[in-house]
Amino acid sequence: MAAHTLLMSTGARLRDRRVRLERRATASKAVRGSLVSLAGLVGGPVTNQAGEEVGRLVDVVARLYGAESYPPVTGLILRIGRRRTFLAADAIGKVHAGHVRLRAARVDLRDFSRRPGEALLARDVLDHQLVDVDGVQVTRAADLYLAPLVDRVVLVGVDVSLPTLLRRLGPRRWQARPTPERVLDWQAVAPFAEEATEGPPEVRLRASRTALHRLRPADLADILEDLGRAERQQLLGWLEPEQAADALEEMEPAELEALLREAQPEHAARLVDEMEPDEAADALRDLTPEERESLLTRMPDDRSAELRRLLAHREGTAGGAMTTLLIIVHRDATVAEVRARLAEQAEHRTEIDAVAVVDDEGRLLCDMALFDLAVAEDAAPVADLVAWRAQFGPPVTVRADTPLSEAADQLVAARASSLLVVDDTDRPLGRILADDLLDALLPERGRVHFRRFLQ
Amino acid sequence: MTRDLHTSSATKAPGTTGAPAARSTGWRRLTMVAAIAGPGLVAANAGNDAAGIATYASAGSQFAYGTLFFMVLVTVALVMVQEMAVRLGAYTGKGLGALIREQFSLRLTALAVFCLLLANTGLVVSEFAGIGAAFELLGVPKWAVIPPAAILLWALVLFGSYHWAERIFLIMSLAFFAYPVAMILGHPDWAAVGRHLVVPHVEPSKDFILLAVALIGTTVSPYMQFYAAAGVVDRGAKPADYPLIRADAVLGAVFACVISLTIIIATAAAIGGTGPLNSAAQAAEALKPVAGQNAELLFALGLIGASALAGAVVPLSASYAIGEAVGAERSVSRSFRDAPLFLGLFTAQIVLGATLAMTPIDVIRLLIGTQVLQGLISPVVLVYLLVLTNRRTVLGPAANGPRYRIAATAVVVGVATMSTILLGQTVLGWFGLG
Repeated sequence: MAAHTLLMSTGARLRDRRVRLERRATASKAVRGSLVSLAGLVGGPVTNQAGEEVGRLVDVVARLYGAESYPPVTGLILRIGRRRTFLAADAIGKVHAGHVRLRAARVDLRDFSRRPGEALLARDVLDHQLVDVDGVQVTRAADLYLAPLVDRVVLVGVDVSLPTLLRRLGPRRWQARPTPERVLDWQAVAPFAEEATEGPPEVRLRASRTALHRLRPADLADILEDLGRAERQQLLGWLEPEQAADALEEMEPAELEALLREAQPEHAARLVDEMEPDEAADALRDLTPEERESLLTRMPDDRSAELRRLLAHREGTAGGAMTTLLIIVHRDATVAEVRARLAEQAEHRTEIDAVAVVDDEGRLLCDMALFDLAVAEDAAPVADLVAWRAQFGPPVTVRADTPLSEAADQLVAARASSLLVVDDTDRPLGRILADDLLDALLPERGRVHFRRFLQ
Repeated sequence: MTRDLHTSSATKAPGTTGAPAARSTGWRRLTMVAAIAGPGLVAANAGNDAAGIATYASAGSQFAYGTLFFMVLVTVALVMVQEMAVRLGAYTGKGLGALIREQFSLRLTALAVFCLLLANTGLVVSEFAGIGAAFELLGVPKWAVIPPAAILLWALVLFGSYHWAERIFLIMSLAFFAYPVAMILGHPDWAAVGRHLVVPHVEPSKDFILLAVALIGTTVSPYMQFYAAAGVVDRGAKPADYPLIRADAVLGAVFACVISLTIIIATAAAIGGTGPLNSAAQAAEALKPVAGQNAELLFALGLIGASALAGAVVPLSASYAIGEAVGAERSVSRSFRDAPLFLGLFTAQIVLGATLAMTPIDVIRLLIGTQVLQGLISPVVLVYLLVLTNRRTVLGPAANGPRYRIAATAVVVGVATMSTILLGQTVLGWFGLG
């Protein structure tokens, strides 16, 4: 029964996907006619103006990491006899399906040396991993499509379909025929060629990089989990540290552990530093003591001290799952002042759903929900709100060593979305959020990991 | 889930002096091994499944101690091959499927994928045949067992409750650890054993070659290299962890082969020289010194556990490698619903495997036949492995040095030669010239 529904839903998903892909594909006839398949070109003849064969095409060089939105072809690598030589792009006359015709009868050949931002398309991009930003997935380039324009040839799209792979397995006649069933626009992919880190820095904000910034943290986390090691580190390098940290918070603990382990310690430390404190502590808990120390010592002192405090709590207790990001206000403050404090913390909006109000000693008086603040008058002192809240009984709090299951019961009883964690003297230590509780209490559901067979 | 038992206490170890600290570092290193290691050990020992047991037992019954020296050679081959696989995994962070796609032409990739799929489907057949044979020992006909077993395994893996089942299977497969005990209690001729371990012994007969190829196939299974590399990658091991990983792979391979040797010796002591093995019941004879009347029950338990264990891992590892090569990386780590290719491959292997295992052919012949198939395909996969580990562009300084290259090439050529001889003999046999 369950299997049946699974298959049904798979079918439905596949249908949806096909519809989506058809919309995404550049399916217009005119485009199809003008596209040239790279897989069909490689190994094909290169002829001069008179139609005599000069050599065979080995690879196409394009400036992948340039300012242009579509990478221009900057040259060809040919095999002439037993020698491999480079031919600059200005010698190209016409690019047909399966063969290249040169502009002149004489060709000016040089040895190839890679310039910044250039990549060899057949060697570095074809058959390698890339991120499809719209489809939010990691895939491999089954074919690349070039479009001959008036004065240059540009790389316009990537084909990622299975039929294309089968086409490439077939005889040469099939190979040159473009099959743009599922072509991704080059603007919507992030390729990983070796030269990605070279070239001027402003270049690295290509269109697709900015497209990467459109991805939600959870999607980015999925993509990071699917990428190979080198590609994964490259992608992390492209992202802003804050964005990368948001994605890391969404990753599977085991995957995150692997990622931090393989990153340069400085980089890993910066990423962990950017994560929310509770998530960062969770991530560090998974590492060995040596690895943990090496990251902590590379962070700012106040930050590492805070994380060390969090790490002292055991996993499975409120202290182990809490975030130390708190907004604590004195009861003499006005509502407007509290709002200003909140405005400063806008980047942490997901971690704040209430404000802790304390007395002169720093002891907790009340855990003020944002709703109460939202409906209060600007000039009203917080003390009034505290007095009003007092009729509903004392604030519900847990201790750092309270087991998570018990904390969950408390949360349900209090009908709140978070709970304050306080020490023995009633001073707020941190806050435990409902989603962290869910994370800790819900088992993994319905995701099959190959890794499971190795544990 | 057992991760912070030692780590949290280690950070708070108060006032440790020099020596204990050093010892605790050693201990921590050990736990580190346990954290990273494992794939090599698991992968190599998954070789002692139903088909493996059948092949080793057959070697013992047909040639007594005659195949021991050959097994020593196979051990050396397995150690080298597994080491190459985990080295690729640790240094590149990519599975073998992905590496082959990136380093070879698409046609060669397709060839590798096809070989792997063929070999693995053969293995799945043998796992289900093993389950059938085990239940027949317990008096249940195989046609009543194999289909439900296939559906159960498929569902367990798909709906994520395999976790617990796996442990049960693992405990059941521990029954085979009775073999070393049986070997000692069976009073084999130790002098002969020692002699056969060190003195080369090859018989030119077709049966011997066939069995030798089956021994290669069941020990150096193509899927194991993929599996070991994937395991290393999944654990996020770095080049810095490579010494640990290598130790794990080498120890795992040696351990697996030692178990194989004990199976051969125990069977040889019990029923050696009685000609080819003809039933699972006969193979269970070797466990008599340990279990007496319950030998068959013990053997059946072990067979069910080992077969079910491998029956899930084998089709998964093929689907994993192919998903990687095609570029559907999603399918490897996402839910099955997002992964039609992965799901399809996995299901197809199970269905095909179970169907073929139902054929009314003699179980032992079927089991050994699947291993011969593995042995024939193994050299193809090994060539890929060898080329990849020779390439400096892939491994940089960790690529094979000149000496290692010669040794590894010798291993691959040796395995390929055996397969070629067998193929030649088989083809000649068709024309009545064998």
